[in-house]
Amino acid sequence: MSDEKVAERALIEIPHGAFGYAKRPVVRLDNLRLVSGRSLGIFGPNGSGKTTLVRGLMGLLPPMEGQVVRQRDNLHFGYLPQHRALDHNWPMSGIDAASMAISARSRLGRVGRNRAQILEAMRTLGVDDLAHRNFSGLSGGQQQRLLLAGAVACKPDILVLDEPTEGLDLRSRKNLLDFLRGALSTGLCIALISHDVQDILQSCDEVAWLHPGEDIGQPSTVEMITPNDLADRVTHARRAS
Amino acid sequence: MTSLTDYLDTIRVVYPSLVTAAALGIAGGIVGTFVLLRREALVALAMPQVVAVGAALGMAMPWQILPPEWRTLVPALGAVIIAVLLLAWSRRQREGNWLLPSLYIGGLSLSFLIIAHSGEHVIEMQNLFTGMDVTMTPRQMLIASPVLLATGALCAILWRRWLLLAQAPAIAEAAGRHTNRWETLFLCILAVILLIGTSNLGAVMVVAVLFLPAATALPWAKRIPAALLLSMILSLIFLLAGLILSIEFSLPLSQSVGGVGFCCLVISHAAARVLK
Repeated sequence: MSDEKVAERALIEIPHGAFGYAKRPVVRLDNLRLVSGRSLGIFGPNGSGKTTLVRGLMGLLPPMEGQVVRQRDNLHFGYLPQHRALDHNWPMSGIDAASMAISARSRLGRVGRNRAQILEAMRTLGVDDLAHRNFSGLSGGQQQRLLLAGAVACKPDILVLDEPTEGLDLRSRKNLLDFLRGALSTGLCIALISHDVQDILQSCDEVAWLHPGEDIGQPSTVEMITPNDLADRVTHARRAS
Repeated sequence: MTSLTDYLDTIRVVYPSLVTAAALGIAGGIVGTFVLLRREALVALAMPQVVAVGAALGMAMPWQILPPEWRTLVPALGAVIIAVLLLAWSRRQREGNWLLPSLYIGGLSLSFLIIAHSGEHVIEMQNLFTGMDVTMTPRQMLIASPVLLATGALCAILWRRWLLLAQAPAIAEAAGRHTNRWETLFLCILAVILLIGTSNLGAVMVVAVLFLPAATALPWAKRIPAALLLSMILSLIFLLAGLILSIEFSLPLSQSVGGVGFCCLVISHAAARVLK
């Protein structure tokens, strides 16, 4: 298969679908595709159902309407949590934090033979020297890169990033986004949840913009637009207000 | 100063309790570390009260078909299973705030109400809470100690899983792990320690070895395996120091262990503040 064809593979396709909890749809969408080698931004206000949408894409929530077409059953997801969301009371080193994603794949959470794989990913991201440092004593950028190293060490098909630049300084933010752009060229598919239009503009090919329902209890709807359209419309809306 | 012969004589009499306490110390040091890190302290405080309700039922309505040492343990096990199922259910429903305090006060009240008119059982129940005058047979020791050690070992082996569930449950879910099942497994591990510890050595001893060594060790550990090892060692040191205190000054063992542990905890945290 040529590189071009690899880059065009739709890993997940939702012609029409709705996801929610307890028989109540939270988000409804049409024509959403996650494609190998491309990046989808997920943008919307708090409470608009971004997490619900991601859980649906990851197969953690069955669709309440429509269907989710997966290229194959064993699609591997990587997940990058917000480094700020971690509990810093737990004593852990840099490599412990980076090992979390791979330990999740093991039935009993063992890392064992995959340690070399994690160290390799840490080297790629330039954080191998932090392996034995206390995780809570590191900067936000270093913590985020360690977690990202863990996520990419698993060689996922789709990498979901939850507000990855939140709380990072400009340099760390640039490094992270540069790395993500490089990872796309290897065929990785990225789903980036972000409030930051600049992040989406710099690293996404397409955006799923979640618009909350007009009435309470009504599901959010998803509009698929380009990052440039998103930036224009957000700028207009800010000027208008 | 008590002579070595007196020490040996005392140990010869109470060795089943001491061996079980050592096993409880090792397992409690491990499980207690995760109890503190996962902020499950209220479970560890409420569960002995649940054990007490089961034990009270066993005292008030003994099942004659069971051997004497099982007559309180079996109903206590039943009560703990019900409590674990309730807790697991309430967590899934995200309605757990009221349950643990209710189990605590309900257990504390019901356990005494069930046996209120039987003076002998009331004393037995007080001993279960305070850990005074508890004695174990070698047979009980042979059953309790391996179960405690195996439970502690299982909890230690799974340290990366507990870390993952506490730090990033979404990563676990993305990898297809059932987080609710793992949460329930941790509750079961904790319940085994609390059930065996409370019914054999009393609530004071089990709570002391769960909280104090782990809380003393945590300010000094940089990784979880180190915290577990330090916590186990401290647990055994507290037990030994408590034993010496109790023999030298004729004090109750559980309270001596708790007292030593608490003093070390205060020193540990004060030193950590000063040195860090």
